[in-house]
Amino acid sequence: MADNKPTPEAVVQRLRRELSLQHAGVEYDLTEIVRRGAFVGSSIESHDQLPRAMDHARSLIAACAGTGRSMVSGTVILADEMSRCKGRFARSWHAPRGGVWGCMVFANTLLPQWRSFIPLAAGVACCDAVNEIFGVASSVRWVNDVLVEGKKLAGFLVESYTEPVHREEFALVGFGININNTSFPAELKATATSIAQILGRSMDLAEFTTAFLAKLALNFGILLYEEARDLRGDGFSGRQGLHLLLDRWLRLSDTLGKRVIFGFDVMNVPQYEAEVIGLDRSGGLILRLADGSVKTEYSGEIRYLG
Amino acid sequence: MSNELDFEELLSTYKSDPFGYVDIFSVHTGRVSFKVGVNQQVASASGEWLQVPGSALYEINRERNPRIVNAPVAGIVAHINTELDGQFVEAGVKLMTIKHPLKKKEIIENILRDVLSLFQAPESAKYFFAMDIQSRIDKKGAREVTIEPGEEILTMSLMKRDTPVYYNGERGVIHSIYFKPGVSVGQGEPLFGVCALEKLPLIQKIITRVKAEWDSEH
Repeated sequence: MADNKPTPEAVVQRLRRELSLQHAGVEYDLTEIVRRGAFVGSSIESHDQLPRAMDHARSLIAACAGTGRSMVSGTVILADEMSRCKGRFARSWHAPRGGVWGCMVFANTLLPQWRSFIPLAAGVACCDAVNEIFGVASSVRWVNDVLVEGKKLAGFLVESYTEPVHREEFALVGFGININNTSFPAELKATATSIAQILGRSMDLAEFTTAFLAKLALNFGILLYEEARDLRGDGFSGRQGLHLLLDRWLRLSDTLGKRVIFGFDVMNVPQYEAEVIGLDRSGGLILRLADGSVKTEYSGEIRYLG
Repeated sequence: MSNELDFEELLSTYKSDPFGYVDIFSVHTGRVSFKVGVNQQVASASGEWLQVPGSALYEINRERNPRIVNAPVAGIVAHINTELDGQFVEAGVKLMTIKHPLKKKEIIENILRDVLSLFQAPESAKYFFAMDIQSRIDKKGAREVTIEPGEEILTMSLMKRDTPVYYNGERGVIHSIYFKPGVSVGQGEPLFGVCALEKLPLIQKIITRVKAEWDSEH
């Protein structure tokens, strides 16, 4: 019997609350954004234990396709505990009871140029939910790590999957958020944190998960809304004509201005030190190197220096 | 993949004209203004991380958003469509040609690219071999690794979105690898070249022949 059991109805209710946040004078239509994003969390599976949510999602998608059905886009798979979790480059991800572990299945209808924004949407959603629900000042580190007091609270990994029957492409948005779990393996102790460690008490897991999924719905709504605006030639609705998701990312991130070390696999193969001087319109990180040259990276990782 | 290679003709072609000719196209619509002239020497990107851009070739300005386009290879500007200077052009219009001096290694690679089955990058992204393939390469070397159609061969990584890439060519060994993990590859550029097992002797013959007949590195 799973502990973390948010419902689709609760996610919709929470998403409706976002509508009350519509401010006068903004360029975007929040009702339209909410309508477009409401598919996220429309079906939720809660498990006591899974080896890995992404693998489970792949099996479900393949099984659906094999029986001539379509997988429900926005399906969320949660597990109280996962035994074979992994991050990038096969790094292990510690997923004991107390955290929010799972993935969201998105039937990838976005045009190719907007697909790289999916990871940003996950980080922004989590950061927003953490700040709102717990009153904790979290920030986003490029691409989408969520940090509190310099330690990693949450990580996200997006994997594409093409189902074998009709070749439909899905984006599996994997998430791992440390909420009530308080023990970490020795190699993560110095760099990871959880809400229970920060606040000194356990929190309601289902309430947070509901809020996170509502924020994820909002940010996927933004992706689809901004794509539609762009196709109509209306431009984007963030500040100074910026894509609204990038605008939100910039408000929540502390990456700009930081001295960083960059690497494709920064933990094992750090490449160079640089200063972050901006984010380009595709979400690429603009870096100034020690020799004054400027380079934009679209893939890889950073760690803050100092 | 061809078995019919006329080495004499190929080698004499490269000996009489040991250059690659790289056409430069407009990257999008906009007004172009050239930054180089015919016969001007241009440099490619340099620095340990290729952070120093190549020579500025042209500026293209779309809706007051100027963009400088840099030389992808070193060489001499062999030709410029000068009539386009200051004009509005569509995306993909040929603007100039750079004449690039080929090294022995590049000549071998050029010939091999004609005879290997090339697997091209589906999107502009960073690539790394799938874990199983990488461990086989680490253990035995790429040229001992046989890949099959349908096998998961690469992971394409862009903004922390990882997409598995499946091999769809003929069965063979990974003969040449054209990408480095962590370095961006443009869409359509070759990632690796595959050689059917029975054609390996032909490939070896090409390499030996060029090495023997090409007396210097340049």
